[in-house]
Amino acid sequence: MDSKSHSHETAINISETESNKGKSTAATIVATTKAIPHNHKGGWLRGVAIFDFILRLCGLVAALAAATTMGTTDETLPLFTQFFQFEASYDDLPAFSYFVVANAIASGYLVLSLPFSIVCIVRPHLVGARLLLLILDTVMVAFTTAGAAAAAAIVYLAENGNSTTQWLEICQQFGDFCQRASGAVVASFIAAVIFIFLVIFSALSLRRH
Amino acid sequence: MKAGAVELGHASKVTQRGVNRGMSILDLFLRIIAIIATLGSAIAMGTTNETLPFFTQFVRFRAKYSDLPTFTFFVVANAIVSAYLVLSLGMSIFHIMRSRAQASRIALIFFDAAMMALLTAGASASAAIVYLAHKGNTKTNWFPICQQYDSFCHRTSGSLVGSFIGIIFFILLVLLSALALSRR
Repeated sequence: MDSKSHSHETAINISETESNKGKSTAATIVATTKAIPHNHKGGWLRGVAIFDFILRLCGLVAALAAATTMGTTDETLPLFTQFFQFEASYDDLPAFSYFVVANAIASGYLVLSLPFSIVCIVRPHLVGARLLLLILDTVMVAFTTAGAAAAAAIVYLAENGNSTTQWLEICQQFGDFCQRASGAVVASFIAAVIFIFLVIFSALSLRRH
Repeated sequence: MKAGAVELGHASKVTQRGVNRGMSILDLFLRIIAIIATLGSAIAMGTTNETLPFFTQFVRFRAKYSDLPTFTFFVVANAIVSAYLVLSLGMSIFHIMRSRAQASRIALIFFDAAMMALLTAGASASAAIVYLAHKGNTKTNWFPICQQYDSFCHRTSGSLVGSFIGIIFFILLVLLSALALSRR
């Protein structure tokens, strides 16, 4: 009699033992204690999947906020000369353009992955969907962190300047632009941390007992 | 017949264990290459030191990695990641011997993802600065310094390559660990 029994096999075990009453009761005791962890594990997996879904919604809010905050930066200084106006927007710096694109792609991916997450809630023992979500989440961690770090480097440079390369700090003039950019970078880093948590939860629910 | 079925089940179990062991060996191999890549990047960036041949009475024109805080962060991040990879080699060898380990695999996935995020942050921040050094920016009046500091620019651009290779390998490592987890 094998000990690795699922909930279906316990019925067969009970009908087999007919000779010894003592043995059958022992078998029923063994059968019932084996059945409970299976359902309990399904419940735990479902809880992790629900938490995963909620985290995805939070990540969507963060990434969308970062993309829109950076995308709507447009500051024009009140002073201007005869030939050109002093204005700064996100597409003046390629790092900021990449930042907006990366966060937009991350938000789009999160929206598309919500149905997969719902499938994982409804069917907690599906391995393929979780594996797919895990690998795509890992790629998105790299993507989002890259955008956030590049924008953070530019914002740091804009705030502090650099003496060796003679790059002047522009935040003294474009104060509002710098503030919006810094806020967007913070939101993007929050989205990246949420992606890392999503990877951990997918890995936790992938293991088999 | 039953003995044959049992034998068949035993054979498939052996091949499954063989595939798991193969994945663990591939994991070790990827880690070793990633160590070389990230260590190479850290050393290449850390040894930048270019002095221009002309100088005035008061200031010498010199560029090092420590003049830009982003590059300092890059060197530190690559050093931390290569140290972590060396430490995780032991864990990888443990996984080759014991394919059943699950909790340690999950811990390894978590640390791999975190270290990948650190490496990506360093590499992409430096990439932004290198791009700025090559092209400059007209709106902010930032001058492209690569026209003067040629060798410094080449060194920093080249050291980014090893870092990006490390990022790709980290993604592969996370995928391998997740596959090994789900195949049990």
